[in-house]
Amino acid sequence: MFDFPIFEMPTIGLRMLMAINAIIHVFVSHGGAVGGSVVLALAAWWTNKKNDLAGYETVYRLLMVFFIITTSVGALTGIGMWIHANIISPNAIGGLIRVFFWKWFIEWIVFNFEVVLLLFWFMTWKPKAETAEGRSKSVKFGIFYAVSSWVTMLIITAILGFMLTPNFDGQPWIDPEVYPGVVNYNNALFNPTWIPGLMMRTFSSIAFAGALAILWTWLITSFSKDEEIRATKERMIKFFATIMIVTVPVAAAFGYYYLLQIPEAARAMIPTAMMTRAFADKMDLMHMIISGIGGTVVLTTIIAYFSPKRMPYIAATLMVAAFMLFWGYEERTREFIRKPYLIYNYMYANGIRVTDVPYLNKVGILKHAVFVDEDKKVLKEDKSNLIEVGHTIAQIECRACHTENGINGLKFLTKGWSQEAIRNRLNNLPGGGTPYMPPFTGTEAEKDALAAYLASLNKRGEIK
Amino acid sequence: MNWKLPFDIPLVVPTMGLPGWFFDSLGVIVFVVHIAFIYTLIGASTASVLYNIFGVFKKSKTNDLLAYKMTNPTTISENMGALWGVAPLLVISVLYTGFFYTAILKVSPHILHIIYGNIFAFLLSYAYKFSWHALHEHKGFHISIGLVAVLTFYTLPPVFMSMSNLYLQPELFATVKNIWDIMLTPLTFFRLINFFLTAFAFTGIVMIYLGVKWVKAGGEDAEVGRLAIDQGKKWFMWAAPVNIAVLPLVFFAFSPRISEAYIHTPFVFLPFAASAVLLILFFFLLKRFSNEEFNGSDATKAMVLMIVAVTLMATARHGIRVVSFEEPLQLQAEATQEYMTNVITEYKAHKEEMKNAPAVVLDPAVSLADSKGCLACHSVDTKLVGPAYKEVAAKGESADVLIASVKNGSQGKWGETPMPTQTLTDDEAKTLVEWVLKQK
Repeated sequence: MFDFPIFEMPTIGLRMLMAINAIIHVFVSHGGAVGGSVVLALAAWWTNKKNDLAGYETVYRLLMVFFIITTSVGALTGIGMWIHANIISPNAIGGLIRVFFWKWFIEWIVFNFEVVLLLFWFMTWKPKAETAEGRSKSVKFGIFYAVSSWVTMLIITAILGFMLTPNFDGQPWIDPEVYPGVVNYNNALFNPTWIPGLMMRTFSSIAFAGALAILWTWLITSFSKDEEIRATKERMIKFFATIMIVTVPVAAAFGYYYLLQIPEAARAMIPTAMMTRAFADKMDLMHMIISGIGGTVVLTTIIAYFSPKRMPYIAATLMVAAFMLFWGYEERTREFIRKPYLIYNYMYANGIRVTDVPYLNKVGILKHAVFVDEDKKVLKEDKSNLIEVGHTIAQIECRACHTENGINGLKFLTKGWSQEAIRNRLNNLPGGGTPYMPPFTGTEAEKDALAAYLASLNKRGEIK
Repeated sequence: MNWKLPFDIPLVVPTMGLPGWFFDSLGVIVFVVHIAFIYTLIGASTASVLYNIFGVFKKSKTNDLLAYKMTNPTTISENMGALWGVAPLLVISVLYTGFFYTAILKVSPHILHIIYGNIFAFLLSYAYKFSWHALHEHKGFHISIGLVAVLTFYTLPPVFMSMSNLYLQPELFATVKNIWDIMLTPLTFFRLINFFLTAFAFTGIVMIYLGVKWVKAGGEDAEVGRLAIDQGKKWFMWAAPVNIAVLPLVFFAFSPRISEAYIHTPFVFLPFAASAVLLILFFFLLKRFSNEEFNGSDATKAMVLMIVAVTLMATARHGIRVVSFEEPLQLQAEATQEYMTNVITEYKAHKEEMKNAPAVVLDPAVSLADSKGCLACHSVDTKLVGPAYKEVAAKGESADVLIASVKNGSQGKWGETPMPTQTLTDDEAKTLVEWVLKQK
C-alpha cells in the first residue's frame, strides 16, 4: 500500500472532523454561493426592474451578509475539504486528484470568475447604484456571478456522482490490473447520478438560499433605522417565498429521481446511514423525521408566501433549521452509503485498494507500513508486543471510521466480547449484518494481534 | 541515506503528454500570483491598523483615510490570495503527492489552523472594515479588532511554512514527529524573515502604485495619495536592504544534502539575482525619494521590478524542489513498481482461484440467514462470536424459546457476549429457527 504516516484524531474521530468541515461547507457553498448567487441576482434584477430603490438597497445589505460568509467560511472550508481528506485518507484524495486533475483545474478557473465577479459586484455596487445605467450593469455582474458559481457545482457534482456510481455501463473507471492505470474520464463523469444529483442540489440550494434570504431580510429590515428599508420587508419576503414555492417541489422531484439512480446495494444502506445502526430498524422514526423536515419547509414557505407580514422570526428560523438538517442528513447519507468503499470497487473506506488485498493477506499489512517503528510492527518471539502490534493494525485499518474510545469507539463496540469472539468476528467483517465493513486485510498472525488489542480495550484498569 | 518514504500512488500523472517543465512553470506562475496577494494581505492589513493608530495620535484625518482605504486591498488580496493558493496546491499535490501529503500529516492537526485561523482572521478583517464608520467614536475598540485580525494573519505563515519546509526535505520524514520540530529551526526562521520583509517591501510598492492613482483622482484623495507614496517608499527602503542580505542565506539553511547539491546548479544564482533586482529598485526609489509627485509610469516600473524579484525568489525555491526530489522520487518509483508487480500477480492468482472454486448452491434459509447478518456471528459447525448452530440444536431448547431469543435478543445462555435484537418477521424467524434445529 502507498503508505503514509498515521494521524489519529482522539475522541471525535477522523470522520467527525471531516463531517464538521464538510457540513459547514455545504451550508455555505449551497445556500450562500450557488443558491445565494441566483436568489440575490434575481432579487437585484427584480427590484431594479420595478424601480424599487429601497428594495434594491435591501438586496445590497443581504449581499453584504452573503459576501462575508461565502468568501470567508465558504471558500476556506472548501480548501479545508482537501486538507481534511488528506489527513484522513491521502490515498483516496491522491487518487481522485490525479484522475480529475484537469477537471479540478477547470473548476478552479471557473471559480476565479466566480470570486472576481462577486468581489466586483459587491465592491462596485454602491457607486453603480446611483444611475439606472449603472444598476443594470451591476445586475449583469450578478447574473454572471450566478452562472459561474453554478458551473463550479456542475463540475464538483460530477466528481461526487462518480464516487458513488463509477461503473457506468459496467465499465470500470480504471483497470486495476494495469499499472500505470488507464483512466476513462467519460465513464467516470457521465454516470447516472450526475444529472439528477446536480439538479436536486441546484434547486434545493436555491430554495435554501431563499430561506436564508427570508431570515436575513427579516433581521435587516426589522432592525433598520431607515423607514423605507423597514417597509421593504413584506415585499422582499414575498419575493423570496415565491422562489421557494417554485423550487421546493422541483428539488423534491429531482431528489426522488436521484434516489432511483443510486445502486441497489447503496440504497439498502440508507436506513443505517440515516439512523445509525442502533436505530436502523426504527424506520417509522426516520419517516417522521423526514416528514417533519419536509413539512416544516413546506409549511413555512406557505406562511411566507401568503402572509409575509406575519412571518414571525420563529418561522424563518425553523425554515433554515429544517434545511440545515436536510443538508446534514443528505451529506451523511451520501457519504455512508458508499461503504464499504471510498471509491466504488476500487478502494475501501480505510484506503486499502481492492487489488491490494490478496497480496497483503499473504505478506501482511505491516510489511509496507514504512512510517511505523519496527517494535510496533514486528511481532517479538515472546509475543510481548502483541497488543502494540494490534494497535498499529487498528490505526491503519480502523482509524478512518473508528476511534479507540470516543465516537464510534472500538472499546464500546466490543464490550463484553471475548478475545476469541472478536477473532472470529474479524473473519467475516463484511456480510449480511455489516455490509458496510471492509474485509480485514493481513495475515492470520496480524488478525490475532488485532483481536488481542481490541480485547485489551475493555480489560484496561480492571482489577485482576 | 536511510529514507522513510511513502510509496507513490499507483496511478498515472495526468500530463496529457505535456512536458515536465510545463507543470513546473505552471506551478511557479500560480505560486507567484498567490504569494503576491498574500504579501499584499499581510502588508495592507498591517498598514491599515498602523495608520489608524497614527490617525488617532496625530489627530490626522489623512492618516485615518489612508487606513480606511487600505482595507480594500486587504479584502481583495485575502480573497484572491486564498483562491490562487488552490492552484499551486493542486499542481504540487499531483506531481509530488507522497512528499506533500506526508508533510501535511506530520504537521497535523496544527495545519488545520490555516483553515480555521484564516476564517477567524477573515471575519475579523471584515468586522474591522464594515464597522469603520459605526465605531468612529470608539477607536480603541475598533483598532483592537483590526489588531487581532492582523496578529491572526501573522500566525498563519509559520504553520504553512513549516509544512512546506518539511515537504521540501524528505530526509526529515523519519525524524520529525511534530510541527514544532520543524517550526523551531533556523530554516523556518530565515524563511519567515524573508517572507515578512518581502511582504512589507511589496506592500510599499503597492502603496506607491495606489497613491499615484489617488493623486490623479484629486480632491481629498490626492492628499491621501501623497501620504501613501511617501510611506510606500519608506516601507520598501526599510525592508528591502535587510532582505537583500537575508535572501541568499535562506537557500543554504536547508539540509546539507540539499544545500550542497544546490551550489552546483544554476539555481544558485537566482537568490543573488533577486537581491540585485531589489537593489536596483532601492536606488530607483532613492533617486525619487524627496520627489513628491511620482508619475504613473515610474510606479509601473517599480511594480514590475518587484514582481521580477518575487518571481526570481519563487524560481530559486523551485530549484530546491528539483535538487531535493531527484533521488527520493527515483526510489519511490522503484518501490512502487516492485509493489505493484507483486500485487497484480497475487490479484490475478486470486481471481483465477475464485473462478475455479466450485459453485455453492444455498438453501433458502441460509440465504435468509446471510441477508439478516446471522452468519456474521454464527456458523453451522464452529463457534464464532456466538455458538455454532450445531451446539444450539444439540442444547434442545424449544422453537418458541429460540424464536424469542432471535427476536428480542438474549444474554447469558452462551457466555457473556450478548445476542442483539434482530429485525425480522415472525415467518422469517420461524424459517430460521426450524433450519437451525435441523443442524444436529
